[in-house]
Amino acid sequence: MPPARSSVTVTPVSFLTLILKNLIRQPVRSALTVLGIGIGITTVVALGVITAGAKETASEYLRVGGADFIVAQKGSADLSLSSLSEDDVGRLEGHTGVARVSGVLLHYTRVGNNPFFGVFGVDPATIADRPLVAGRRIRGPGETVVGYRAVEKQGLSVGGTLALGAERFRVVGIFRTGNTAEDAGAYLPLATVQRLSGKPGVVTVIYVTVEQGVDPAAVAASIERRSKQLAAVATLADYSEIDQGMQAMDAGNLAISLLAVGIGAIGVMNTMVMSVFERTRELGILRAVGWRGRRVLRMILLESLVLCLAAAVLGLGLGWLAVQGVMLVPAISSFLEPHLSIAIVLRALGVAVAVALTGALYPALRAVRLSPMEALRHE
Amino acid sequence: MSEPAIVVHDVVKTYDGRRISALTGMDLTVARGEFVAVVGPSGCGKSTLLHLLAALDAPDSGAITVAGHELAKRKDLDHYRAEHVGLVFQLHNLLPSLTASENVQVPMFERERSPRRRRQRADELLVLVGLPGKGRQRPTELSGGERQRVAIARALANDPPILLADEPTGSLDSKAGARILDLLERLREERELTIVLVSHDATVAARADRIVAMLDGRIDPAAFASDARAAAARRA
Repeated sequence: MPPARSSVTVTPVSFLTLILKNLIRQPVRSALTVLGIGIGITTVVALGVITAGAKETASEYLRVGGADFIVAQKGSADLSLSSLSEDDVGRLEGHTGVARVSGVLLHYTRVGNNPFFGVFGVDPATIADRPLVAGRRIRGPGETVVGYRAVEKQGLSVGGTLALGAERFRVVGIFRTGNTAEDAGAYLPLATVQRLSGKPGVVTVIYVTVEQGVDPAAVAASIERRSKQLAAVATLADYSEIDQGMQAMDAGNLAISLLAVGIGAIGVMNTMVMSVFERTRELGILRAVGWRGRRVLRMILLESLVLCLAAAVLGLGLGWLAVQGVMLVPAISSFLEPHLSIAIVLRALGVAVAVALTGALYPALRAVRLSPMEALRHE
Repeated sequence: MSEPAIVVHDVVKTYDGRRISALTGMDLTVARGEFVAVVGPSGCGKSTLLHLLAALDAPDSGAITVAGHELAKRKDLDHYRAEHVGLVFQLHNLLPSLTASENVQVPMFERERSPRRRRQRADELLVLVGLPGKGRQRPTELSGGERQRVAIARALANDPPILLADEPTGSLDSKAGARILDLLERLREERELTIVLVSHDATVAARADRIVAMLDGRIDPAAFASDARAAAARRA
């Protein structure tokens, strides 16, 4: 006889519902596990966002003035510490295939609350390339054009003055290039910046534009061949190769990610081992009513995955907040724009999945290997 | 004559490095649709027999054939438990975090993919065992007898031909226990279930078609005779 239908409708239970119910049974433990892994992922995200921002700034440097590549001092620990002479600029001017060169001296000085205000010393003819949004171009040594971010942060305006140490320069124009560091700094004639920084005849890097139809890579290679002290930087990969700071950031990023996976995996393992141990009898019941071992395995792994994905969401949120906190420091926000890319989101999710699987594998296998009979006897 | 539902032949089971003998050459045949009660004192091996029939444990020697499947030859014992036998324990063994309906749905995961159909079937089974409208309640919100009914509904989730019950009334008062036995009898008749029930209580065993009495790991004909007489007297 077919059974009568019940008048009461209850919610169908899905596999995911079962998993969520298992996690909710120990809410404090689950929350602490999510928090612990989330903090690890926060570090990964924050560092990733800052590194990506720094790389973005670096790649913007490479595009300054429409140059094909830049030339810096080989072996300098950081691109901003590169030191070349104006003689090098002259030599490159005469190099085969080179159409135009421009030596730039980068000097950092305190302006207002920003201890790292970037001052770019350039040939005034090169400054003509900067797209102005207000005012005019530099005509004399006592004048400067400033980036729009510097205007916002330092309260500058056309007609006002920019104080650099004991000297004052009249702001005659405001430019906007899209380069975070450039837009937060100011352009002055090269000779002025060399005097201010006490580096007469020195430039930091040389921007090189090649003749039409000439392969920039070939010119760059030929420059490096001719002078062992020069390094040509055409791509972000080249930049990372010569810039030790970028390399250190990449290495730190990888180390933090691995550390987050390691620590997170141990945390997850601890949680899941406890969970499996406490539910030994229940796991025995599931096997006794016909659940296959692989379903139990899937259940434990998915429980871990749900915890870690929640931690990834938390970590992405906290990581972004942490970066916003870091950006309150003027010295950092003046040259760095946070950049949350899809790659960072994927890295956070990748860390979460790696933590979930490595941390839950042992307890899951242990759960599968339990004899149903022994599990049922467990008190 | 149709194939027996269960054939146990010369089964030996020991524990603790063979120091403890649970079954010492057990033989038993159960016909399809038969309700058999296995009785005996504590430690006589009756629960061990049930666990072997459920493939929760394996014998040291001998052969067990259930619903035409020789258990020693099967590798997919999980599938066997899901499809061919339903288990009812003395302590209901329901999952405390799940509702009654969800507990009944648990064994269906291996067979039915649709959550809606699982829920419908659970509803039907809860009505079958006399618990309409109790699907949303958790085990802690149910009486002992109701929990055991949910456990029976769970055992029937995948419509197995054989129900194995280990002291199903052992933790219930006499009235609740009697109602569980009424339910088992009704299910046997309605669904042509083969039931093997283990109990140390002769009153419970008296509800079965046949009583198998065990002593020291095997069937004891003397105990069988006395229990059978007692059962007959109670039925009368």
